[in-house]
Amino acid sequence: MTIINRTTDRGPAPGDGHPLPWLVPAIAILAAFYAVPVLDVLRLAFSDASLLAPASRYSTDAIGGVLADPALPVVLGTTLVFTLANVAALQLAGLCIALVIARGERRGLRGMAAFRTLVLAAWVVPGIANGLVWQMLFDEAPYGTLNSLLGYVGLGPVAWLSDPQMAMASAVIANLWQGTAFSMIVFYAARRAIDPTLYEVAELDAATPWQMFRYITLPLMRRLIAVNTVLVTVQTLNTFDSILALTGGGPGRATEVLALFTFNTVFYNLDLAGGSVLAVLLFAIGMGCALLVHYVIGRERPAA
Amino acid sequence: MKKTLFLAAAASALPVMGTAQDLVMRTRVGLADAPNTLTFRLTAYDLYSSDPATKAAFEALFTDFITARPDWKIETQLQTGNIGQEQARLLQQTQAGRGPDCAMIDSSQLALFKDNGVLKPMNDVFSDAEVADLFPFVRDAVTDADGNVLAWWWFTDLRVLYRDTSVVPDAPQTWEDLKSAALSAVEQGREGILFNGGRWEGTAFDWLANVWAQDATLVDDNGAPVFASGENREKVLTAIAYYQDLVDSGAAPARVTSITDYDSFNAAAAAGSAAMFIGGNWQYGQLRNTLPPKTFANWAVSEIPGPTADQRATGTGGWTIAALTDDPAKASLCGEIAKEIYAGPGNAAQGLLPTSAAIYDQYDTYDGPEYDLFSAALQNGVARPGAAIYPELSNQIQIMLGDVLSGTATPEAALDTADAAVQAAFDRQ
Repeated sequence: MTIINRTTDRGPAPGDGHPLPWLVPAIAILAAFYAVPVLDVLRLAFSDASLLAPASRYSTDAIGGVLADPALPVVLGTTLVFTLANVAALQLAGLCIALVIARGERRGLRGMAAFRTLVLAAWVVPGIANGLVWQMLFDEAPYGTLNSLLGYVGLGPVAWLSDPQMAMASAVIANLWQGTAFSMIVFYAARRAIDPTLYEVAELDAATPWQMFRYITLPLMRRLIAVNTVLVTVQTLNTFDSILALTGGGPGRATEVLALFTFNTVFYNLDLAGGSVLAVLLFAIGMGCALLVHYVIGRERPAA
Repeated sequence: MKKTLFLAAAASALPVMGTAQDLVMRTRVGLADAPNTLTFRLTAYDLYSSDPATKAAFEALFTDFITARPDWKIETQLQTGNIGQEQARLLQQTQAGRGPDCAMIDSSQLALFKDNGVLKPMNDVFSDAEVADLFPFVRDAVTDADGNVLAWWWFTDLRVLYRDTSVVPDAPQTWEDLKSAALSAVEQGREGILFNGGRWEGTAFDWLANVWAQDATLVDDNGAPVFASGENREKVLTAIAYYQDLVDSGAAPARVTSITDYDSFNAAAAAGSAAMFIGGNWQYGQLRNTLPPKTFANWAVSEIPGPTADQRATGTGGWTIAALTDDPAKASLCGEIAKEIYAGPGNAAQGLLPTSAAIYDQYDTYDGPEYDLFSAALQNGVARPGAAIYPELSNQIQIMLGDVLSGTATPEAALDTADAAVQAAFDRQ
């Protein structure tokens, strides 16, 4: 039997009974850069602060005002549609591309790295630029890019941005184009982590590609799919820059999501307190999604 | 001998030239060791313009200005193009005592700064005659009840009707004329009339000309919104119905609800797809530089049509320069920057519309016939209401027009929704 002496020449290890000093830097950084701003937003939500004057009193007036705003249900509905459509599409597109790349690499196809880079290129485009690029593509003028292409094959024109329903679809397409890369990276990493022996055994058992996906790939990627769902949901909830550039939230409020509504409340309305209430709401929704998935993952975790 | 003299002169001029170039830096104008400092927050469209000619012109103006004041240096701070956000930040910083000594303030935000009492008089820089020569809407905006000059509105702009005279030979004078001309253009395969209808400030501002032409008001003397009550309500509904009819009749394409910039009109003019559009005066120069001369010759400008020929209005914008410091010497220097650099020579360098009639006669830049039209139209100019609620009012007008023009809401319902939202926002302010 070997007795392990945990005290080494370098001094005590972090777990030797005094972990706090080791955690202080991390706690301080988290507090300074994360908790303090969040707490300040929470404070502002209970204030009467505007961009013209600092908080002079604290009450629940701003919360009441925001919750009673008839526009809020409309905006929440728009946010729900935008988020659900994006999360579903982003997951599906990201998964498909990741599996295509993984399969291509397994078969030694050339150009897979270039393909992966091409998808990633969209990810580094700033949201505003993404919105402007798609605004040009969706331009409904007689010389608009997509409508002109559709015209060559006898289709269209499509009211990409002027019709409220199509404007939402266009906003989803623009966000999908940019955000797919993130899901693709997550799924690609997850797919690469699966032991290839499993697929080799499945092939020996004459499993079809669908069966391998259904009974090997999907179950083993399930937890990362759940994590990605949270990340993508939070990302989508926070999206406002590309919509701002693409439609500005219009026509009317057709594409005004919660993040954009928050921006407008602060910078059009000059209502810092109201904007803070909306920011807290956005934070709560994001946190709720994260906790939900954490709970689901926790239930699935096998006993040690 | 002559050669020797020339070389000597050139050699002696070198330090001077070098100094002149060094006087304008990225964040400073003047010598670094000058004892007095003025901080000046400006936009990126003049001294630091991406256009080399504009940049050079303003560098020369600033160099002359600071050379005449060797005891001063100007520390420059650039604003981004996000006007609402920048101006809100500027006001906040000024109220907290962290603002610049002198700043460019968007004309739409000027009243907000006035109401908050952060602007300092620059009376000793501007004579009574110079103030009297300002256009009426400008004079009202830059002075207070005691006659103090609180800012100098150094250029303005306005909205006009552009038309391709090969399709629409005569300038429409009334809304009905405009609709008829647009429908006629549609029959000839063109888009009849284009205007901003998407979700941005331009939509509200351009459309408000139709409201102001009926003498409607948006806010009362206390800055409270009254656009949806009393006589104003009917006038606003009439103006909404006018736009709705243009779209429903096909005189304007449904795509106007997706137009969120003036460049779309230039593109349509270049493509030959539109017969008319409501645009800004600055687009005249852009069209001249963009279109082939023969095509450009077909384009003409006229006043925005009104409900009747004698009911006209046009929205006016532009930028002001104001002192935010308590130091009288700095406030004076701020006024001198506005007067000696921007109003007049700065206007002429960029072809921007001056705010006083005298400057139009002073510079050759304004000899073109279009400037006679712009100058005349400015007599019907209306500035945005000087009230803190205006940005939200504009936001709600954009939503209202988008909903009506896309068929999502009736004019009455959309107006009621906008009114409720604006009143709620006003109550919270």
